[in-house]
Amino acid sequence: MTDPMINIVRLSQEFEGFIALDALTMSIEKGEVFGFLGHNGAGKTTTIQMLTTLARPASGTASIAGHDICADPLSVRRCIGYVPENVRLYDTMTAAENLIFFARLSGVSEPKRRVAEVLDLLDCADLSAVRVGGFSKGMRQRIGLAQAILHQPQVLFLDEPTSGLDPMGIKMLRDLIGRLNTDFGMTIFMNTHLISEIAKTCTSIAVLSHGKLVYHDRIEAVTARYGDDAALEELYLSLAPQGRLAEVA
Amino acid sequence: MSELSPNWLIARQSARFVLRERTVALLATLFVTLVLISAWLGWSATSTVDRIYVDAAAFLKASGQPVPTNPVLEISPLSLMRNMSVYVALIGALSAIVIGNRLVSIDRKAGVLPLIGIRPLGRSAYADGKIAALLGVVLGLIAIAGVMAVATFLVLPSVTLSGGQWLQLAGFLGVSALYMTCFGLVGLAFAARAKSETVALLVPVTLWLTLTFILPQLTANLNPTAAINPISALATPPDTSFFHWAGWLLGPLSLADAYKFASANLLDYLPQGMASPSFIPPVANIVLLTAAAACTAWRALSRIEMTQGDYDA
Repeated sequence: MTDPMINIVRLSQEFEGFIALDALTMSIEKGEVFGFLGHNGAGKTTTIQMLTTLARPASGTASIAGHDICADPLSVRRCIGYVPENVRLYDTMTAAENLIFFARLSGVSEPKRRVAEVLDLLDCADLSAVRVGGFSKGMRQRIGLAQAILHQPQVLFLDEPTSGLDPMGIKMLRDLIGRLNTDFGMTIFMNTHLISEIAKTCTSIAVLSHGKLVYHDRIEAVTARYGDDAALEELYLSLAPQGRLAEVA
Repeated sequence: MSELSPNWLIARQSARFVLRERTVALLATLFVTLVLISAWLGWSATSTVDRIYVDAAAFLKASGQPVPTNPVLEISPLSLMRNMSVYVALIGALSAIVIGNRLVSIDRKAGVLPLIGIRPLGRSAYADGKIAALLGVVLGLIAIAGVMAVATFLVLPSVTLSGGQWLQLAGFLGVSALYMTCFGLVGLAFAARAKSETVALLVPVTLWLTLTFILPQLTANLNPTAAINPISALATPPDTSFFHWAGWLLGPLSLADAYKFASANLLDYLPQGMASPSFIPPVANIVLLTAAAACTAWRALSRIEMTQGDYDA
């Protein structure tokens, strides 16, 4: 059996006494599209921030492609890409200028050629010479995805990638994620709120509630057991009984 | 084209951005204009005195009276640049604070820190890049000032600098660059660590006001308006135990005092027997405080919060 692409061991985070993530332990295999579900404040973004080495864990650790996030963050950064929930770029620069800068920081050889290649791949070559300041949320999301895959990472982290997008934008992004996974073999780690997206995109899911992992399984097992989206939603709500979602429901 | 290291990429990108900023451009233009005015005033005053002397010398010679030496030659030509030390202490230091602040706040306000933070570069590379950008911009400003100073000395009649004086001028420009860099580093440090954008700018400006106007009052009994005058600022402090102890304790922190004394010494207008209130020689004092500011800025930058970055509203 091969080593998992992402291996998380008792990963914890604390903010001034508040436990944001409580000893999260799980692993994600190479080539998976992993959906990380949870209510607002469950600890999903905190988890991504630690896995992408943007924040140090209070305790525990994790490894990405065999590299420890605490002991060897530079190696981790070489094999990951990250699209934050709200993609923000240098507004006064064009999309291509932004991407060339990030490509150079990632050590991409021939950054201009690579940027043109990625913009073509994402069907947004027409945005290349346009200043980012005037971009819509959907355009930003695509350029955000472009900056994340410039260096051909093994793992792509997406934080609420469909948040604020219209149905067309959601479909386009879903298709792109699928292509990155199937054509380039990228392992995808995706935080999301949209249960309907899970069955269409993910190969495995986990549910986080108040910083604790309450469910983790492959999507086939989930759909075999719970059937359609509505049943999946029931599962999600039942797993967060003390959460805000349950209160709203 | 050979690929630049991440440090230089950060430095180049930041310097380009900061030079496009209107506030920075305005302050830099103001600084350069004031240096130009300073050079013009020195040139104008000296050439006027020289012309009057030539006319007077011709008249005295014709009437058979003894001709005194040219007064222009009795003072060191370097002292013509003394107004520049005032502009460096005031507008130069303030510009450096704004430059330092903007070098970091452009990234924080753009919200790109998470995208930089996940690149394969150490946090130290980010810190090195920002400090290199600050040095580049400050040295650029000082280089413009230096070109103006050199041009002034080359076109002035009756004024020639010896090899040693050219070195002193270079030393003055170097000390001025260090002085501005010190404030720029403070700007960098607070821009990296402060939660609010206002605090990030206000604290370094308050520090600058304290060092320029308040500490000289405590160490040498200088009132604030005197502190901006390079001549009166060199007054001897009263011989009392308060000023003795204040000078001993606060003198090493009094950066503006150290700069004024170092400038006066390098530009040959320091009255004989006068010494700075600090027990540390002025140039060494500036070097030490700049090194301390560099360590603080580097530490703040290498620990910058990369998860979101933007200032609190």
